[in-house]
Amino acid sequence: MTAVPIGETLDVSLTVNGATVSVDIDPRRSLADVIREEIGLTGTHLGCEHGVCGACTILLDGEPARSCLMLAAQAEGTAITTIEGLATNGEMHPVQQAMHEAMSFQCAFCSPGFMMSTIALLDDNPNPSEKEIREELSGNLCRCTGYESIVEGVETAVKIMGPTR
Amino acid sequence: MKNPQFNYHRPGSLSEALALLDEHGDEAKVLAGGQSLLPVMALRLGRPEHLVDIGALAGLSNITAGPQGTTIQALVRHAAAERSTDIATHAPLVSAAMPHVGHRAIRTRGTVCGSIAHADPAAEMPAVCLAVDATMVAESVAGTREIVATDFFEGYLTTALRPNEILTEVRFPAWSATAGGTVVEISRRHGDYALLGLACLLDVTEGLIANAALSFFGAGGTPIRVAEAEQTLIGRPPNDETFAAAAKAVTEHLEPGSDIHASTNYRRHIAGVLTRRGLAEATSKIGVPA
Amino acid sequence: MAQQTSGLGFTGQRVKRVEDERLLIGEGTFVADIQPEGALHASFVRSPFPHANIRSINVAAARRHPGVAAVLTGAEVNAVTNKFVPFITMDGLYTPLYQAMSDTKVRHIGDPVAIVIAESRYIAEDAAELVEVDYDIVEGIGSIDRALDPSLPQLWEHADGNVLYDGTDTYGEVDTMFTLADRVVTETFTSHRQSNQPMETRGTLVEVDPVTGHLTIHAATQAPHFLKWAVAALTADQSAVSSLRQFIGKKDRRKAFAGAAKDFLKTNGEKMKKADSSGQTYQMKKEKGLLKAMSKMGLGLLAADDYPTVKSIDIGGGFGAKGPVAREDIAVVVAAQKLGKTVQWIEDRVENLADGGHAREEVFTLSLALNNDGTFKALKCDLILDGGAYPSFPISNAATKQLLKVYLPGPYDFKAYQIRGRIVASNKGKVVPYRGPWANECWVRERLIDKAAHELGRDPGDLRLQNMIGEDLPRAAMITGPTLDETNSTKKTLQRAIEMIDYDQLAIDKAEAERRNHRIGLGIASYLEAAPGPPNFGDSVSPGTDMFLFEDGRATVEADGKIVVYTSQSPHGQSHQTTYKQVTADEFGVAMEDVEVVWGNTDRTQFSLLGTGGSRGGPLGAGVLRMTSRQVRQSVVREAANMLEASVGDIVIENGNIHVAGVPSRGITYADVAAKVASTKGVKDGPVFEEELKYEGVGNGGWSVATHVAWVDVDLDTGQVTIPRYLVVEDCGPIINPGIVDGQVRGGVAQGIGAVFYENAYYDEEANLQASTYMDYLVPTAMEIPRIEIEHMETLTDGENDARGTGEGGMIGTPAALTNAVSDALGIEVNEQYLPPARILELAGVIEPD
Ligand SMILES: Cc1cc2nc3c(=O)[nH]c(=O)nc-3n(C[C@H](O)[C@H](O)[C@H](O)COP(=O)(O)OP(=O)(O)OC[C@H]3O[C@@H](n4cnc5c(N)ncnc54)[C@H](O)[C@@H]3O)c2cc1C
Ligand code: FES
Ligand code: FES
Repeated sequence: MTAVPIGETLDVSLTVNGATVSVDIDPRRSLADVIREEIGLTGTHLGCEHGVCGACTILLDGEPARSCLMLAAQAEGTAITTIEGLATNGEMHPVQQAMHEAMSFQCAFCSPGFMMSTIALLDDNPNPSEKEIREELSGNLCRCTGYESIVEGVETAVKIMGPTR
Repeated sequence: MKNPQFNYHRPGSLSEALALLDEHGDEAKVLAGGQSLLPVMALRLGRPEHLVDIGALAGLSNITAGPQGTTIQALVRHAAAERSTDIATHAPLVSAAMPHVGHRAIRTRGTVCGSIAHADPAAEMPAVCLAVDATMVAESVAGTREIVATDFFEGYLTTALRPNEILTEVRFPAWSATAGGTVVEISRRHGDYALLGLACLLDVTEGLIANAALSFFGAGGTPIRVAEAEQTLIGRPPNDETFAAAAKAVTEHLEPGSDIHASTNYRRHIAGVLTRRGLAEATSKIGVPA
Repeated sequence: MAQQTSGLGFTGQRVKRVEDERLLIGEGTFVADIQPEGALHASFVRSPFPHANIRSINVAAARRHPGVAAVLTGAEVNAVTNKFVPFITMDGLYTPLYQAMSDTKVRHIGDPVAIVIAESRYIAEDAAELVEVDYDIVEGIGSIDRALDPSLPQLWEHADGNVLYDGTDTYGEVDTMFTLADRVVTETFTSHRQSNQPMETRGTLVEVDPVTGHLTIHAATQAPHFLKWAVAALTADQSAVSSLRQFIGKKDRRKAFAGAAKDFLKTNGEKMKKADSSGQTYQMKKEKGLLKAMSKMGLGLLAADDYPTVKSIDIGGGFGAKGPVAREDIAVVVAAQKLGKTVQWIEDRVENLADGGHAREEVFTLSLALNNDGTFKALKCDLILDGGAYPSFPISNAATKQLLKVYLPGPYDFKAYQIRGRIVASNKGKVVPYRGPWANECWVRERLIDKAAHELGRDPGDLRLQNMIGEDLPRAAMITGPTLDETNSTKKTLQRAIEMIDYDQLAIDKAEAERRNHRIGLGIASYLEAAPGPPNFGDSVSPGTDMFLFEDGRATVEADGKIVVYTSQSPHGQSHQTTYKQVTADEFGVAMEDVEVVWGNTDRTQFSLLGTGGSRGGPLGAGVLRMTSRQVRQSVVREAANMLEASVGDIVIENGNIHVAGVPSRGITYADVAAKVASTKGVKDGPVFEEELKYEGVGNGGWSVATHVAWVDVDLDTGQVTIPRYLVVEDCGPIINPGIVDGQVRGGVAQGIGAVFYENAYYDEEANLQASTYMDYLVPTAMEIPRIEIEHMETLTDGENDARGTGEGGMIGTPAALTNAVSDALGIEVNEQYLPPARILELAGVIEPD
C-alpha cells in the first residue's frame, strides 16, 4: 500500500531505454513530464496533453501508450522505450532510417510518436497494407506532411526490415 | 493542462482499495487506465481529493470466457480484450466494439470496466452491455452487488455505482450459437468517439428472428435500446425489408441531441442507416466466429 | 561566371534532409526542450467570458501559494509596457491599440488578465486558479452579422461600431461593364473560422543576464528579428535609463532614431493631435508614412546591443501562427525582468485553440459580369472579414484584406473590377495569417466560375481556358497592378490538368456510384501566387510594404576554410538547412557537409521583419545565399589565382579542389586559400572572406501557379466524403529539392481538406468557443487524407534564381477544388466552405436542418 499525501513525493523506479531509473516526484506528474524533465529525454513531445495528437507516444512494456495520459507513478516497474532508445551504437533504427529515406517529416515535432507507433505496428504486423498503416497511424496527428511521406516511410521500413519477423 | 493536486493511493489489495473508497467517499476517484480521468483532470474539470490507483491490485486482470458466459475483470485493458480469441468466440460483440475505441495507444491503457464505469454516452462498451444484458459486479466494504445493464446506466457520465464501490468485473451472458452481432458507427474522423453508433444482435432460428437487440450510443445521455424497433424484427426473416422496417421504427422513436458536430436530424437519419447496415452485417456473422 | 564551379549538382536533387540527423533521433531543440536549471514556469489567468469588463482582480491568495514566485496582473504588466501598433494601415482603418494583457476589459475567451510565475507549471496552474476576477459580463459578438448590428455593444470604445474598416477599390469601368455584359452571376460565399494548429504550440523562454540584464529569448517564432524588435519597442520604458545612456553614447544611432522620429511626426503629427482624449487611438490617413517611420525607428533602435537576443533552433510548425508576436511573450519578458530569473511559458493546446491564432472567417458576395459566349467582363466583390478581438502584430488582417483585393481576379482577364472590403471586430481569438492568408480569393472565384459554367451549360474547364491569361490571351499585368510574365503559366497547368482527367472514366464512375447511393464529382481550381512576385507586387498590396520584402544573406569562408552562410529565415519544417546547403555547396563547388547554415540567432543573422513566411524561403532566402556565395567564391578564386599564378579565368573548382583547368592534381583547397589570407591578415579564426547582400528577387514575374483537381465520392446515406483522387499540377519554377517541394504541396492540400471537411474553430453567436480541445477541433488523420498526385511543370526564365515559392499554394487551391467537386457530385451550388457530413446531407436534400 502506497499513500502519498498532497505535498509529498513518491519514489518511482522504472526502466527507460534499458537503464534503471529512479525518480522522486510529485505523484501528479505525468509520465511525459517526468521523461522530459526529470529524466531529461526531451525527444518525447507534448502536442496536446489530452491524448489526441500522439506526439507523446512511447512504448510501455513494448506496447504503444500515451505518456501524457499516464501518471509517472503508474509506470512503476515498467520498461519504457522512447525515441532516444531506438538507435544502437549511434546507428539509426531501421524505422528511423526509413523515415529519413522517405523524407517523411518536416518540422518533425510529431515524429517521435509516429516512429513509436510504427515500431508497434510492425512488431504485430510486419507486412501491413497501406490501409492498415493508415489505420494504425491515425492515432498520431501530423500537421505538416499530409501523411503520404510517413506512410511511405513505413513502407520503406518494411522493405528494410523484411516482411517477416 | 497539468493535473491538480491529489492524495495518491496505490493500494496493494482490493480490501485496502475498498476501505480507502469507503473512507473518502465522494472525494475519492478510482484511477484505472486513466484514459478518461486524466484528461478531465488535466483540463481541471475534475479534481478528486484522493486518487485510488487500482493498477497494482492483483487478481483483477482475468478474462474468463466459455459457453456459460464471459467475465472481464476490472484491469483488463481494451487491448487485451481486443486480442482475446475467447472473447471473440464467446462475447463477439465486445470484440467488435474494441477497434472502435479510440486508437491503439489508448487501448493499451484503457480498461473495459473503466469505459463502462465512465459511461460516456458516445462510448461503445456501455451500449454493448445494454445490448447483451450484461451484469456489472460492484464491490464495496459492504459486499458485492450485481447490477444489470438496464439499471446501471443512469445518465450522462452517471451510473448506479456508489462512490465507495469498485466495478470489479462485468459479466456477459452466454452467446447463442444462432446469434450474430456487430458494432457499427459513424464518427467524424477515424478513431473519434462516434457521432452515433449501434451495437446490435440478431438471433435467428429456423429462418426467423427470435431475438434482437438494437442498442444505440451517442443518441442520448445513456445508451438506448429501441424496443419498438426490436419488436418489428421478431418473427420476421432477416432481410432488407425487415431491416428497413426496423430502421423506420428507430428513426421514429429516437430523439438524439445535437452539437457542433451533428444535428439531431442527422443523428436520427444515421440511426436508420446504421440499423440497416448493422443488421445486415450481424446476419452475415451468424455462425461465423469474429 | 557560373561555369567556374562544377559543383556536385545537389540543386534539383531529392537530397535527404540534414535536419533528420538530429530530429529523427530525438535530439532536436524545441523551445520546451530547453530547461535551464532553476527556470520558473508561467501560466496565464484567462478570461472565461467572451466579453466583459473587469471590476476587480484579487491575486493575494495566488501570491501566497507555496512555490509561487510572482503574480502580475494585467495592469501591472501594462504599466511597464507599450502598446501594440499593428503595422498595416489603410485610409479609414481603425487600428485598435492594445497591450500585452487585458486590464479593464476582456474581449475573447482566453484573453490573458494575469500571469503567474512558479517553480513548476503545475504549481503555476494551481495558483492561477486562485486568482479571483470579478467580471461584469457584456453581450458577445460571435458572428459577422452581429458585428454589423449597430445596436450591439462594441469592442473598441472609440471605434465607429464594430466595423473597423470599410473601403472600396475600383479598377476600370466596372459599372459600364456590368451594364454591357449579357448576364451577371452572383453568389454569397461564407467561409468558417479555421486555425493553423502547428503540432508544437507557441512558447518562450526568457533568460536574464544577472550582471548586464541582457535578455536572451528562446522562442518558437517564425520571425526572430521581429520578436527582438518588438520586445525592445514594447518594453522600452523599462530599459529606458540604460538604453538612453547607451544610446546617447552612440552618435550614429542617435541620428538614425532622430531622423526616423522626425519622419514619423511629419507624416503622423496631424493625426496624433487628433488622437482622442484617452490617447489610445487614432486613424491613419496615409498608408506609407507610419509603416516606413515605424520601421525606421525600429531599425534605429535595433542597433543597440542591449536589446534582446532571440534564438530559435527547431520549431514545430507555424503556418503563419508563429509570425505575430504573442501578447504573452511580452508578459513573460516583463516577469523575467522583474524577477531577474529565467521564465518559460509553453502554451498548452487549450490556450492555443483559444488564442494561438485563427483565420479565414469571411463572407463574400461576388458578381461576375459575362457574355453569353462565356467571355468574362468584370468582377465585383463585397467582402467582410472577421478580424477577431485583437489585430495580430505586426501584420494584421488588414494585410489579408489587401491581398484578397489584389488576388481576387486571379489568372483571368477582366476588363474591370471593384471590391468593397470591410473588417469587423468580434469577441473571438485573434486572426493571424494562415498559409496563403488570402486563399479565399481562389475559393470564391473558382466556385463562381463553376456556377457561371453551369448556368451557361459550359464545361467548367473550358470556360476557364477561354478567359485565362496565357499565350493566346496575353496580358502584361493583373488588373490590380502586378506585372505578369512567363512565370504565370497557370494556363499551362490547367491544360495539363485537363489532359490528365479521364472524363470517360468519370462518367462510368458516376453511374456506378449512383447505384450505391453515392455521388461522384470533379472540381477544378486554378490560381497564381506571388512567390515572391514582381517588383510592383508589394506596392499593389499596400504602398510602403515593398521596403520589407528584401531578404538579407551573408556568406563567409572562415580561417580554417569552413564555409558558413547566414540566413534571416526561421525555418519551422521547411527544411531550409538542407536546401540552403544544396544551393550553397553547388555555388562553392564543395560537398554539402562542407557548408554550415546559421539561422535563428539574432546576434548572428541580419535583420528581417518577416523571417519565414510568404513562400519566400526558396526564391529569396536561397536566392540571396546563392548570390552572396558567388561573390565570396569569386574573391576566393581571385586569391587562388594569385596562389596558383594563373589567371582568374582559368580557375575551376571541382568538389572543393580549386585548380587550373585541366590540372586537378595541382589544386588547392578552400582551407589553403583561407589559411593564406588569414596569415596575411594576421587572424586565427573567424571569417576571412565575407559578403552581405540585400536581395529582392529578379525579373518581372516570380509567380508560382497551380491547378488542382479533386475527385470526391459522397455517401448519400451518411454524408461522408472520400477523395478517390487528388491531383495538383504546379509550377514553381526549377525545383531545388523535389522531396521537399512535394511535402510542402501535400501538407498544404491536407490543411485544405481539413478546412473543408473537418476543422471549425466554432463559436456560438455570443462568442463562446465550442472547439476548445482536440476532441472538437478536428485535425485530419492519415485515414482522412488521401494520396496526392503531383505533376510538376518547371517554367524557366532567364533569371538566375528562378526557384519560386511553394509553401502556401497547396492550401490555396484545395477548398475551391473540393467544393467544386461536391457541387458537381450533388448537382447544386455549394456556397459555404465547411461541409461536415450533416451539412452534406442537408445540401443534398436528404435531411432537413434542425
Ligand atoms: C483520444 C481518445 C479517444 C477515445 N476514444 C474513445 C472511443 O472512441 N470510445 C470509447 O469508448 N472511449 C474512448 N476513449 C476513452 C477510453 O475508452 C477510456 O479508456 C475509457 O473510457 C476509460 O477507461 P480507463 O480504464 O482509462 O478509466 P479511467 O480513465 O481510469 O477512469 C474513468 C472513470 O471511470 C472510473 N472507473 C474506472 N474504472 C473503474 C472501476 N473499475 N470501478 C469504478 N470506477 C472506475 C474512474 O473513477 C473515472 O471516473 C478515448 C479516450 C481518448 C483519450
Ligand atoms: S501529447 Fe499526448 S496525445 Fe497529445
Ligand atoms: S512534421 Fe510537422 S507535425 Fe508532423
